[in-house]
Amino acid sequence: MMIQIPTLMDWLATLPPEVVTAAQGYVVAMILLAIILLLNRWQGLGVGNKLIVGTIRGTIQIILMALILVEIFALEDMIIIFAVLLFMATFAAYTVRGNLDYIPGVFRTSLPGVIVGGVGVMLLVTFLGIIQQRGEFIIPMGGMVIGNSMGMTSLILDRMWSNAQKQRALMETALALGATPLQATELTIREAIRSGMLPNLNRYASLGIVSIPGLMSGMIIGGANPVAAAFYQVIIFIMIFLATVVCGIIVSRLFLREMFNDRYQLTVPPPTE
Amino acid sequence: MMGVTMAFGERVLFRDLNLALNHGETIGISGPSGGGKSTLLRIAVNLVSPTAGRVLFHGKDVTEWDPRELRRSMILVPQQASMFPGNVRENLLWGLRIHRLEASEERLRDVLSQVNLPVSMLDKTAGNLSGGEKQRVAIARALLLEPEVLLLDEPTAALDDDSTEVVEESIQRVISDQDIGVMIVTHNSEQAQRLADRIIEIGNSRGGQ
Ligand SMILES: Nc1ncnc2c1ncn2[C@@H]1O[C@H](COP(=O)(O)OP(=O)(O)OP(=O)(O)O)[C@@H](O)[C@H]1O
Ligand SMILES: [Mg+2]
Repeated sequence: MMIQIPTLMDWLATLPPEVVTAAQGYVVAMILLAIILLLNRWQGLGVGNKLIVGTIRGTIQIILMALILVEIFALEDMIIIFAVLLFMATFAAYTVRGNLDYIPGVFRTSLPGVIVGGVGVMLLVTFLGIIQQRGEFIIPMGGMVIGNSMGMTSLILDRMWSNAQKQRALMETALALGATPLQATELTIREAIRSGMLPNLNRYASLGIVSIPGLMSGMIIGGANPVAAAFYQVIIFIMIFLATVVCGIIVSRLFLREMFNDRYQLTVPPPTE
Repeated sequence: MMGVTMAFGERVLFRDLNLALNHGETIGISGPSGGGKSTLLRIAVNLVSPTAGRVLFHGKDVTEWDPRELRRSMILVPQQASMFPGNVRENLLWGLRIHRLEASEERLRDVLSQVNLPVSMLDKTAGNLSGGEKQRVAIARALLLEPEVLLLDEPTAALDDDSTEVVEESIQRVISDQDIGVMIVTHNSEQAQRLADRIIEIGNSRGGQ
């Protein structure tokens, strides 16, 4: 019996032309990788393995992701699209926990913040018709919004925790005057949210002059009208600001329960040198 | 305080400590460094829970008090005087603000003079004050809330002789001006003699009485 095994060339022929073009570019880009590897050896940077493994693993991961996206976009099912966002939010909370493994309760604190802030904002803009109700819009924009919420979350948790250790005396002074946990940490929270917003605020202010940010670049490369892309770029900034502020407020409130008990005692241990 | 025991792991700081602070009385607390004096004051305002025993305030267990109310009536001024960002005025008002209270400019002046600080101090940046000035601002900040009991943790330990004298004088004035109960932790036994009605030793090997 003969089994027809398609050759690589046969398979490639079935792909859309833009994929073929991109794949050819990918192959040629390996020359650049080779140059980096040579520079790496010459300068003794010691990142050769990371680059090679990263290229192989990253390519597989992101192509798998892309194949899944193709399927999801084809379904045009909003429930599945938002289920993907929920999965991303969960993974984001999990990532924050991994990076802040010296802090207790990170996952259960982060998850509600990222979901309400990140996924909530996506629901809102979809519902209001601000962005098109299609996976091609919701998932990449959702990824950016969730990614930024993740960054805000880890900044806030790290700041609140390290301030409770470094400024222990001040926090105890506040509690000793009868402050609630929220009152005792108000300033820390405000400053953490502000510094979490700062990089994006800077990019926002220099929009178009210093930088053409990721979303707009991507849309232009993808063939969109630059003016349309520009509108979406401003929209995504506004979405990111709303999502990160909401996420920051929720995460900071929830985290107070990890830092204080219901007797308003600070439960954060003193720093261990 | 009734039968209060405090231990961190294996290490027992004090065992079965009994202590009563009567209305308007001043108690001095002394003992070796690391003996648990600061911890005892924290226990009193329920900033930490003792390993065993209870603390009563007005006959009610401190754990049953609303922490905000408890710590408004019985205020701990911690060992290291910490200032909030901003000037002295903002620091003085900090305690009031969290209890949604206000104070007139006149009241601020009164309380400053009680701790021997000039009115010009109000607009200075609190973080730049000397140790003795910070200590007195911290005491004034507590006094503005009109507590029944003031717990002072080594108010003069970090100060030179001159500032010690001024701060001690301020405390003396607070004690005599006001109908206020005071527990003062101090290394300085002469200071304890001068200020306190009676003195309690804690943190000896046998535990305090
Ligand atoms: N949260 C904690 N966990 C473990 N040990 C602690 C904790 N807080 C205090 N201790 C220990 O308890 C002991 C008593 O501390 P405390 O600050 O009450 O002593 P102190 O009598 O005030 O000393 P000093 O005169 O130096 O101020 C110290 O050995 C300290 O290391
Ligand atoms: Mg002490």
